[in-house]
Formats: sequence, C-alpha cells, structure tokens
Amino acid sequence: MEQFAQWLQATPLSIAIQSSSWMVPLLQSIHIVLIGVVFVSVLLLVLRVLGVARTEQLPSVVWAQFAPWLRRGVTLLALTGLVLIISEPVREFTAVSFWLKMLLLALGLSAIAVLGKALRRDAPASRGLAVLTLLLWIAVIFFGRAIAYDVEVWGALSFKA
Amino acid sequence: MTLQDLAQTVGNSGLGAWMRSNVLAMPVVEAAHVLAAVTVLGTVLVVDLRLLGLTDRLRRVTVVSSEMLRYTWVAFGLAVITGVMMFAANANTYYGNTAFRIKLLLLAGAGINMAIFNLGSLRRVVQWDLQQPAPRAARVAAALSVLLWLTIIFAGRWIGFTKGYDFAVPDNVDLDLTIP
Repeated sequence: MEQFAQWLQATPLSIAIQSSSWMVPLLQSIHIVLIGVVFVSVLLLVLRVLGVARTEQLPSVVWAQFAPWLRRGVTLLALTGLVLIISEPVREFTAVSFWLKMLLLALGLSAIAVLGKALRRDAPASRGLAVLTLLLWIAVIFFGRAIAYDVEVWGALSFKA
Repeated sequence: MTLQDLAQTVGNSGLGAWMRSNVLAMPVVEAAHVLAAVTVLGTVLVVDLRLLGLTDRLRRVTVVSSEMLRYTWVAFGLAVITGVMMFAANANTYYGNTAFRIKLLLLAGAGINMAIFNLGSLRRVVQWDLQQPAPRAARVAAALSVLLWLTIIFAGRWIGFTKGYDFAVPDNVDLDLTIP
C-alpha cells in the first residue's frame, strides 16, 4: 500500500495537482459543498422517518425528492475524493482517520439504502436506524477533517507517529 | 481599543490558551465547525431552491423555511462558537489573514441580504406563499444567498491553506504540511 501510494504520488498527474496552489483548495471546497448537499439530504430523510419534518408528504415522496440529490452528491464526492487521493496518496493512505472514514462511509451508505427500501414502499422505517444513520454521517465528516490531524487525534496509534 | 487589540485579547484569553494546550481541541473544534457550516449551507440551499422555484413548488415558502431555519440557526450558532474558539487559538494569524477577512465580509453580506429580504418581500409572503414564480426580489435574494454561502465556504477553506505556520503540529513529527 505504501509503495503504491509512493508510486502514485510520483505520477505526472499527482505532481501537477500537488504543485498547483489552487487545485487542492478548490477540490476540497467543492468536496465540502457537496457534503452539505448530501448531509442535509440524509438529515431530511432521517427527519421524515422520525416524523419531525415533511410529515404531510408520503415517505416515498420525500425519498423521491432527496434520493437523486444523494446519489449525485455521493458520486461527485467520490470523484473529487478520488482526485484528492491521487494528489496526496501518502497523506491519505497513512492516515488512520482516512480508513475509518471509508469504513463509516460504507456503513453510512448501507444504512441509507436500508432506510430507502422502507421509505420507497411507504413502510415504517426503524427510528433507531435513522438516528444511527445520522450519527454515521456525522462521524464521516469528523474523520474526514481528522485526516489532517492524524497524529493529534490518534497519537501513538497513528501510522505517521 | 482597536480591532487588533480585541483580536489579541481574545487570543490571550483562557480559551485561547486552552485551545493551544489541548492537542485534541483544534481537530474536534474544526470538525464541528465543518459539520455546522455544511448544515447551514444545505438548509439554506433548501430554502433558496424553493424561492427560486426549482424545488418543492407545491409547498408553501413559509412551511419550507420555518421547517429548515430552526436547523440553520442552531448550526450557525455552533459555527460561530467553534469559529471563535478557533480564532482564539491563533488570533493574530487569522486577524491578518486575507481569506479570513473576506469570509467575515461575506458573512456580513449574507446577513444584510437576509435582513433586506425579511424586511422586504418576506413581509408580504402570505400573498405569494404558493405563487410561481416568487417575486423578483425574493428570487434575487435567494440567488445572492446561494452565491454568498458558496463563496463563504470557499473562503473558509482557503484560510487553512494561507494561514502560514501550523502551530498545532508538534516540531519533532515529520508530517506532510502541504495540505492542512
């Protein structure tokens, strides 16, 4: 993994992005805006399951409205994320928070998918799962930012320490 | 007392000292700030897209906004608190940072835009709650809001790339400081 990261970091594409003063900030900014779209989409779906928002709409209607934003958002997040990884592979792959974020992301996506199955059919969805889904996505955001602070957050457990 | 004096006072406060001394403070506070900021952005977008007639066309503006804005304000409050905490950690650096100053100006702009809208077309919202399109002033306010908040996020991220020495990083650890 380390070797692959070093190799990737030495490719012309990676070097081009690294040496630019604005590409990484721009990519990260776009990444953050997309997180806003995805997180609030998740929030609204969770709030519908909890019966707190958009209660006059059928669950399937709320799903139909926000699922597309979720899908597009996650796709673009994966794209910008991929470019960010390509630009600094060593930084990402040697961060404990990065791997934890990926795990939580997989769990978060699965959770939303499960909620979606119920919402689409106007069937009752688990309130516990809804709360867990929100917490998972909050954790994804936390560990995403924690990548930059891997030693501070993980101390001796950090690969970088 | 000048603004710079005020900044220095905040930096020299107990809060500032605590932020600098606690190694987990900056990561946790900054992550909370990002969470708050993206929630502000997302909830504001829901309302702005409704005002622009792009989403929720069958729902009343008053319903869409009252439903969302409670979250916007809680998130904004958290963003301000975490923002002040981060500022206290490194007050002089942020004070002199151009991206930080631009961000504060943009925030003021967003506030002014919101005030004008609230005192203007929103007062008569009962008349256009379900109307398509919404009054031009409302749509202009919504478009400005989207523009301002996106730029605020960008300016915020740019602070991290232009603030210079990262005090939070221990001297004896070999870290890649290219991307904060």
